[in-house]
Amino acid sequence: MITKVEKTYNMDGVTFSGYRITKNNIISLVPLDEANTDYQAIQQWIADGGTVIDNPPE
Amino acid sequence: MAISKVTTASITDADITTAKLAYDAAPFRNIIINGDMSIAQRGTSTSGLGSDGATTYVLDRFKFQVNGSVSTARYTVSQDTDVPTGQGFVKSSKIDVTTADASLNSAYYSFYRQEIEGQNLQYLKKGTANAESITMSFWVKSNKTGTYICEIDDNDNSRNINKSYTINSADTWEKKTITFAGDTTGTLDNDNGSSFRIFWWLAAGTDFTSGTLATDWESTVNANRAVGQVNLADSTANEWYITGVQLEAGEVASDFEFLPIDVNLQRCERYYEKTYNLSVAPGTSSDPGNRRDAQSSDGASNAVAVRNYKVRKRATATLTFYTGTTSGSVSYERSGASGTSTVNAWSKNGENGYAAYFGVGASWSGVHIEYHLIADAEL
Repeated sequence: MITKVEKTYNMDGVTFSGYRITKNNIISLVPLDEANTDYQAIQQWIADGGTVIDNPPE
Repeated sequence: MAISKVTTASITDADITTAKLAYDAAPFRNIIINGDMSIAQRGTSTSGLGSDGATTYVLDRFKFQVNGSVSTARYTVSQDTDVPTGQGFVKSSKIDVTTADASLNSAYYSFYRQEIEGQNLQYLKKGTANAESITMSFWVKSNKTGTYICEIDDNDNSRNINKSYTINSADTWEKKTITFAGDTTGTLDNDNGSSFRIFWWLAAGTDFTSGTLATDWESTVNANRAVGQVNLADSTANEWYITGVQLEAGEVASDFEFLPIDVNLQRCERYYEKTYNLSVAPGTSSDPGNRRDAQSSDGASNAVAVRNYKVRKRATATLTFYTGTTSGSVSYERSGASGTSTVNAWSKNGENGYAAYFGVGASWSGVHIEYHLIADAEL
């Protein structure tokens, strides 16, 4: 079960590169690939009311 | 009298079995991956399954799924050494009921399944006048006798075909062979997505059993999918084993196609790979096999890990880094400091590799980072 989703960025600090998620207490990095099933699950989690944390690098 | 001449007309096609051929006439004919249940990279047993609707992989490529929100039934899925005697198999999948539900909610389902990429199925010519029949064979064993359902679901066109098989004798390995007709409707996408979903039903509520079993291809009607299915979940004494799963074109089941371990593993690694030794479950050990990268940190105090995968992935993979048993971090060492670090950024991610940046607290030449990695691109 997904419990936390954060945006991650490229080294330029600007380009959105994917998500850091906590799922079943395991932390993983999920790419922006519609064929990735974790990406699909995040989109469903957002559609179900989940809030993505967005803290761009300074 | 000795036969002096044999022509092609002398032997019917059906009499030419794999056993009579001097060589394997159709290598890689098995559409199923890891059908001998020999690969279990994630670990060999997971208990307490069924608490939510999530799907769970234990053995590679085989997914266990329940609608746990409407039932208290729980299961343990494991790799087991109970196998049919004299068939060459050394491993099976076991699904063990640990909390029973004898009165299923109408929406409940429980099944074991494997999903197949569309680009691996194009030669079946589905959706054309020349659509191939396909034949499923497998060994199965359970104390719970009766009718079970095996389903092929066309995930691209919302169509399915469902056949029943019977476990006749309790606690006895039985080989089942099921032929599914070709489907002249609905072409499969030629891509890396899930086109066929193969289901072995284990329990089903009336939402899936109240119609007429879809023994021919049809547009999916849930009520027609699992008609007659026994309820494996009705007792904690119940368990179900399967191995030797093969799905192939045609109307005849050939002998199971055993692959060398390296070939079988590589086929699984298209979907999931790890740096751990094969027998080590992720997050349970620091050594051996962890990656150690030596480099300099950049001006932003990041050390970067740039790696290619062992096997090109089906899609861009989800990455999980481990330091020892802790996910989401790596360990680092540089002059005067050491510790753990989470990823600051990542990029260049594709089917073949990744770049990940880890903060090490200072710009420094001579930094080591160590970690284990899981790359997951399963369907």
